[in-house]
This record gives sequence, structure tokens and C-alpha cells, in this order.
Amino acid sequence: MSVTRTRFSPLQLLALTALAIYSLLPLWWLIVTIFKDNGQLFSTFGLWFSSPSHLSENLHTLFTRQDGIFSRWIMNSFLYSGATALGSVLVSAMAGYAFSAYEFRGKDALFSLILATIMVPATALVLPIFLMMQKLGLLNTYWAVILPGLVNPFGLYLMRLFWDSSFPKELMEAARIDGAGEWTIFQRLGLPLVRSGLVTVGLFAFVTAWNNFFLPLVAVSRDDLFPLTLGLSVWNQTSSSSGQEPLYTVIALGALISILPLVIAFLTLGRYWQGGVADGAVKG
Amino acid sequence: MKTPRAVPWLFLSPFLLLFSVFYIAPVLYAGYLSMFIKKRAGFGAAKEVFGGLENYRRAFQDSDFIHSLLNILKFGVVQIPLMVILATAFALILDSHKGRLQGFFRTAFYLPYTIPSVIAGLLWGYLYSKNLSPFNQISKMLGGTGADFLGSDVVLWSIANIVTWTWTGYNMITLYAALQNIPSDLYEAARIDGADGWKLTRYIKLPLLAPSLVLVLIFSLIGTMQIFAEPFVLRPLGYVPDNITPNTYLYLIASRDGNFSYAATLAILLALFTFVLSGIFLRFTRQEAPK
Repeated sequence: MSVTRTRFSPLQLLALTALAIYSLLPLWWLIVTIFKDNGQLFSTFGLWFSSPSHLSENLHTLFTRQDGIFSRWIMNSFLYSGATALGSVLVSAMAGYAFSAYEFRGKDALFSLILATIMVPATALVLPIFLMMQKLGLLNTYWAVILPGLVNPFGLYLMRLFWDSSFPKELMEAARIDGAGEWTIFQRLGLPLVRSGLVTVGLFAFVTAWNNFFLPLVAVSRDDLFPLTLGLSVWNQTSSSSGQEPLYTVIALGALISILPLVIAFLTLGRYWQGGVADGAVKG
Repeated sequence: MKTPRAVPWLFLSPFLLLFSVFYIAPVLYAGYLSMFIKKRAGFGAAKEVFGGLENYRRAFQDSDFIHSLLNILKFGVVQIPLMVILATAFALILDSHKGRLQGFFRTAFYLPYTIPSVIAGLLWGYLYSKNLSPFNQISKMLGGTGADFLGSDVVLWSIANIVTWTWTGYNMITLYAALQNIPSDLYEAARIDGADGWKLTRYIKLPLLAPSLVLVLIFSLIGTMQIFAEPFVLRPLGYVPDNITPNTYLYLIASRDGNFSYAATLAILLALFTFVLSGIFLRFTRQEAPK
């Protein structure tokens, strides 16, 4: 709990405002820019609106370019992130439960091994995964982007913390005496108790998948399989190279649309975003 | 009642299966790959032949790779402390007050974290772009000449700014949450002993914040070693060297040269390097801790 309830001092307020401006300025620029065309982008002041508005043209270009592939990218991003979140929540919840509720041989060593892999750079994994998938013919499929995201050591770590703190082991004993099976105890008794953990880990997996770039970059090359991040990056590349119509404000609009779901999720589910990480550090 | 020994393993099985396929197998496969080298015999196509530790020898003499490592070290030494100090300072400021403004600031600071690094890279790329940067517009209005944020000598620090922008708020919230968890009777006790203001921060808050700080630093270190998306999307907008980070160099080796065995070697070295740095750091902080 915090102690003092006084107001911020002028100096503190100044520092806070400065950081808030720094944090919000690029987003402000983005909002202003989606109303402009490329001419206005270069000729008018970047941090303020200019008339006439070109938002509807930008929207039209964004959603009709390449036969409206942008809508496809939105759907793909939702599919990849949704499937990854659901799958990894289930997998992490079960594994976290095993580590929290049971004693078994090699438990600590296994947990440490899993945690240590958090340090392995994604590239070190993605490169061999690419080659493995190539051999299995999985490249350019939805699976190529979804499957690797289902296992998440940090998600497991978080989930175990939630089991440790919200699931009393006496409950297990009592349920066993009543004749409940192990799966029933987990599903009926356990899962409802760690609901906020499920949301936190699910959200974490969703955001990680939504933001993922390196994996789709190497795993899919067909543009109808791109997620938003990859699609916009490719447009940025092609539109910056010579001989192409510049797409700056259209890409800016696409960028704004691509961050909306996460911003909304953050503003509505804010309390689930923080939890876990710091709790664990204080306990550990 | 005794539960069968297999039960925990059944709960673990989906995770362990996926973990073996997507963590253990790739690491082992990368190790295996790194033992092969591409050899061109006469006019024939390049062939993969066993080369032992040849790739590792090559990596240690590869000035482009060494340069990328030094780059990222330079980046980390400057950017990580700066970001963590900012995050800590603002967490402390926010922790000492309550009210509506506080909620606004917390949300504003955290918002950049919700933006994918590719999009952050694009966004800042435009803000850096010489001809449309509002910073340059303002600078020109004030009689300045404007800067080239994407010039080869400053682009590393332009990337550092993007990373700082994305992660300061996230780290601040982590530290803030830890501060909120400090039991209030500790403060009462300290106050009775006459501690207040800076003393309270120095002797109560900061020591209790230490475990979270270690976590934040470790994650920042791991994240720094892996920077890829930001330089990748900045590339079409300005001059970004191919080997600005180890990951961009590694990607180049794989995508341009198609030399997966050498790329795998670099990936392993990068992983080992991260392990060693994290290990040194943890060792260092563990010895500091018990006081």
C-alpha cells in the first residue's frame, strides 16, 4: 500500500507530464496522419490536422489494395493469436497444476530446465524450427505459426505462481476423500479458482502472438497467410522502394487498426496485464 | 490416499511434448547443424559436409559478427540502465500518491507496451524520416537544420529510443506493482523510527524492490540480445547496417546466403553469450543481496 496521499509536487508533475507526452506523442502523430494524404504528410505540420480529410480514401485504399488482403491479415492475426492464447492457457494450466499440486521425482530440476529456456533467443529456436517444418511440409500453413506458440515457459511459470497462491492443497485431499478423480479436481475445483491466472496468461500469450514477427517472417511466405505485423512490414518495404506509389498514410492507418485490439484489451482488462510478474518476484 | 505416480506426468504431457518439439529439439538440431559447413567443389553446387568446429572458428574471426555483438553490448550498457532508472524513478513517484491523475499517468506510460515492435518501428521510422519528421519540422521552425535520425552513426541510438519508449512503462508497472505489495505496517514501523521521504525510499522501498529489479534487468538483457524487428523495419527507410544487431546479421546469413549451418552456429553463440551474461549478472546481484 502507498503511504502519503498528498498531491504531486510541481516538479513531479512536470516529470510525469513529460513522460506522458513522450509516451503518447507517436500515437497522436498516428491519429493525425490517418486523415492526410501523402502530399499533406510532407507539406503540413506533422502533429496537427490539415484539411481536407483523406481518411475515407485511405480506408478505401487500405481495404481494397491487393484485392482487400488487409482484411485477411486482420483475420489471420486474430486466428493466430486466439488459437495460441487458448491452446497455451490450457497447456500451461495443466503443467502449472502438475508442478504446484503434486510431488514427483525430478520436479525441481525439470522446472529449472524449463525456466532456463526463457533465456534462449527466439532466433536460435526459429531457425531450426523453420528447417524442421520444411522437412515436414508445414511451411506456409496456419500450424506453422500457431504450434510453436502453444508452449511458453514464462506462461507456465506465471501459471504455477497462480496455482501456488490460489489453490489450497487441503481442498484436493477433501475432494479425494469424497471420491473425486484427479481430472475432476483439476477441472471443476481448480480451474475456477485460478480464473484470473488464466486470463493473465491468456492475455500474455495473445499479446505475444499478436506481436510476433520473426516466426511468421520465416514460417509463411504466402501473403494470404500473413499476420498484420508481417503484412504491414512488407508493404512498408515495397512502397519505399522506387517505382511504387508511396503508401505512408495508408500504412499508418493500417498500423493504427492493427494496434486497436490490444489497446482496447488493455483498457478493459488492465488489471490482468500487470499482476503475476511482480508478484512472483516479491515472493521469490 | 495415494495417487498413482503417473498422474502428474499426464498433466505435464501436452506441455512436455510441445516443449520437446519446439525447444529441446531445435536447440539440439541447431547444435547438430552447426557442425556442418557449405563446401563448393569445383563448379558443382554447394554441398554440406561435416566440418567439426569450423563454423565456430569462423564466427570468432567474423568481424561482422563481432561488430554486431559489440554493438548490442554498447546498446545494452547505455539503454538498459537508462530505462530501468527511469522506470524506477517513476514507479516511486506514482507509488507515493493516489488519485485520478495517477491512473491516467499509469495508463499513458503503459500504452506503448501494447504496440507490436514492428509497428513501433514503423511509427518511429516515420517520425525519424528526414523529410516528414515533425521533430525536424519544429527544429526548422526554430531556425535549426534538422537531424538525420536514420544516419548510420546514430541509428543505433534511434533504435534505443524505440526500445526505451516501448518498455519503460512496462517495467515501471512491474516495479510499481512490487512497491504496492510492500505491507503498510513496515512503513508504520519505519515512520515510528523517524524515517521519512528519502530515507523511507532508500532503506525500505529500494531494498524490497531489489528482487523485482533483478527480474526487470534480466528480462531487459535477454530482450536486448534479441533485438530484430525494429532495425528490420527501419531498413527500407534509411541506412541501417546489416549487422547492427546479432539477429539482423544472423537473418542475413540465413536468408541471403542460405547458409543455415553458419546461422545456427551464430544462434548458438548468441544463446551462450546471453547465458553467460545473465549468469554473471545473477552472481553479482546474489552476492550483493544478503545484508
